[in-house]
Amino acid sequence: MISWELKKKIYPYLLMVPALLILLLFIFYPIIKTIQLSFLHYVLYEPYNRAFVGLKNFINTFNNDVFWISLRNTVIWVGVSLFGQFFLGLFQALVLNRKFKFRGIIRSVLFLPWAISGFLIAVMWRWMYQPRIGIINDLLLKLGLIQEQIPFLSRANTALLSVVVACIWWGAPFFAIMFLSALQAIPRELYEAASVDGASSWQKFWYVTRPFLQPTMVNTSLLRTIWIFNFVDLIYIMTQGGPFNSSQILSSYAYLTAYRSLDFSSASALAVIAMVVLVVYSIFYLYVTRNVREVY
Amino acid sequence: MNPETVKFYLRRTLTLYLPLAFFLGFTLLPIFWIVVTAIKPASAIIERPIRYIPRQPTLIHFFKVWNETNFPIYFLNSVAVSVVTGLFTVGAAMFGGYSLARFRYRGKGSVLMFFLLTQMFPFVLLTIPLYVIFSRFGLIDTRAALIVAYTAFNVPFCTIMMQGFFEGVPPSIEECAMVDGAGLMQTLFRITFPLVLPGIAATFIFAFIFAWNELLLAVMFINSEALKTIPVGLNGFIQKYNILWGQMSAAGTMALIPALLLFFFAQKQLVKGLTLGAVKG
Repeated sequence: MISWELKKKIYPYLLMVPALLILLLFIFYPIIKTIQLSFLHYVLYEPYNRAFVGLKNFINTFNNDVFWISLRNTVIWVGVSLFGQFFLGLFQALVLNRKFKFRGIIRSVLFLPWAISGFLIAVMWRWMYQPRIGIINDLLLKLGLIQEQIPFLSRANTALLSVVVACIWWGAPFFAIMFLSALQAIPRELYEAASVDGASSWQKFWYVTRPFLQPTMVNTSLLRTIWIFNFVDLIYIMTQGGPFNSSQILSSYAYLTAYRSLDFSSASALAVIAMVVLVVYSIFYLYVTRNVREVY
Repeated sequence: MNPETVKFYLRRTLTLYLPLAFFLGFTLLPIFWIVVTAIKPASAIIERPIRYIPRQPTLIHFFKVWNETNFPIYFLNSVAVSVVTGLFTVGAAMFGGYSLARFRYRGKGSVLMFFLLTQMFPFVLLTIPLYVIFSRFGLIDTRAALIVAYTAFNVPFCTIMMQGFFEGVPPSIEECAMVDGAGLMQTLFRITFPLVLPGIAATFIFAFIFAWNELLLAVMFINSEALKTIPVGLNGFIQKYNILWGQMSAAGTMALIPALLLFFFAQKQLVKGLTLGAVKG
C-alpha cells in the first residue's frame, strides 16, 4: 500500500499525463519536425531533391520582399484588429453592465459572432463587400459617405483594412465577455463613495473601473494578439492575401507557400520565424506588464 | 414632464439606447444579410436596386441544399467530429485542470508556459508535419485525424478553464469523502466532477464550437466527399466558378444553427469559464 504522502506527490503528474501526452505528440513533436524541415530543401513535387541546406530557407526568406510586406501587414493586421476589438468590446461591456430591459437577450445576441466560423464570417463579409450588389457599398452610397461603388477587397489600399473590419466584428465579443465579468466583480460601494465625493462619470471610470479592469485588459490582449496573429481564415477566403500581397500576413503567406507553391521547407521557415516573433514579443510583453498583471 | 425627467431620458438615450442600437446593428447586419439572401429567389439575389426585405421569400434554397447536395453528409460528419473532439478534450482537461487547481508541485509553471507556447505556432502550419505523422498511421482522410488535431489544440485553454471551475469547489468537501476511505478517483467521479458539471458542459461546448467551425486543417486532411465536414463542404461551393449565393447562404444559415443554439444554451457557463481561464492564463 502506497502512502498518501507519496500519492500526493505522484497524482498531480499522473493527472496531467493525458493532456501533456496529446500536446507532446500532436503539437510539440510537429513543431520540432517543422523546425527540422525548415533546414531542409523539401518541395512536394521534387521528391528526389531533398537535402539539408542549412540556413538557406531563412536567408531566402529574409531576401524576399513579400516576407517583409507580410511582416508589415501583420503588424497592421494585429494592431488595428486588437485595437478595434479591445475598444468595441470595452464599450459593449460598459453599456451591457447597466440595467435595462431585455439585457439577457441583448447580451447573448451581441456575443453571437464569437460562435460563428471564420469561414462563414469571411464568406458573409465577402458577399457584403461585393461592389455591385453588396450591402456595404449600397448603404455607404445611401448615406452619402461614398460617391461611387468601391471594390473594397480588390483594391490594394483598402483590402487589408476591410478584412480587419470583419476581424473586429468577430473578436469584439470575446473582449466584451472578459470585461463584463471583470466589471461585475467591482464592489458597488466604490462608485457610491465616488459619487458622494462628487466624481464625474469619467473620473469614476478612470479611478475606479480602470484599475479593476487592468489585469483582464493585459492578459486578454496577449492571448488575443497570439490568436489574431495566427488567424488565417478570413484573409485566406476574403482576399487570398491579394491584391499583390497587400493583405498578406505572415501566417497566410506561410499557408499559401505551403499549399500553393507546395514548398514545405520555405513554409516551415516562415512558420518558425512567426513563432519566434511571437515568443519574443510575449516575453517582452510579460516583462513590461509584470507589475500590472497582478493588481489584485 | 419636468425638466429633470427630460434630462434623465435624454441622457439615457445618448449613453445607453444609442450605443446599444449601434452595437446591435453592427453585430446583426451580416447575420441579417445572410438570412435575407438565403430566403430570396435566385433572380432577386442579383437584382438592383438591392431589396432589404425580400418580396417573395422562399425556402427553396434550403430544400435544394438539403436534398440535392451532400450537405446532410457534411452535417453528420461535423456532428461526429465535434462531439468526439468535445469528449476527448473534456477528458484531458478535467484531469489536467484538477491537477492544476488542487496540487502544488515542481514543474507547474513550466506546464503553463508550455501551454502558452503551443498556442504560438501557426495552427494551420501544423498541417505539414501532421500530414507526415498521420500518413504514417494511416490517418489521412479520416475523421480521426481531425479529432486528434482539434483536441490537441483545445486542450491547453480548456484545461485552464477547468482549473478555474475546480477552484470554485471547496476542498473540504473532497476531504470528507477521502476521510471516509474513498480513493482519489472515486472522490473525483462521485463528488467533484458532478459538482463542476456546468463547467464540464461549457468546456465541451467550447471545443465543440471550435471543431464545428474549423476549415483549413480539415481541407488538408479530408478528400473523400463522404468524410467532409460542413466548412470543407461549403468551401467546395465557393471554389466553383459561379457561386450560388442563395444555396451558399442557406447552407451557411443551417450551419449556424447548432453552434448558436449550444452557445445560447450554455452562454452563462461559457462566459464564466472563459473569464476564469483568461484571468489566470
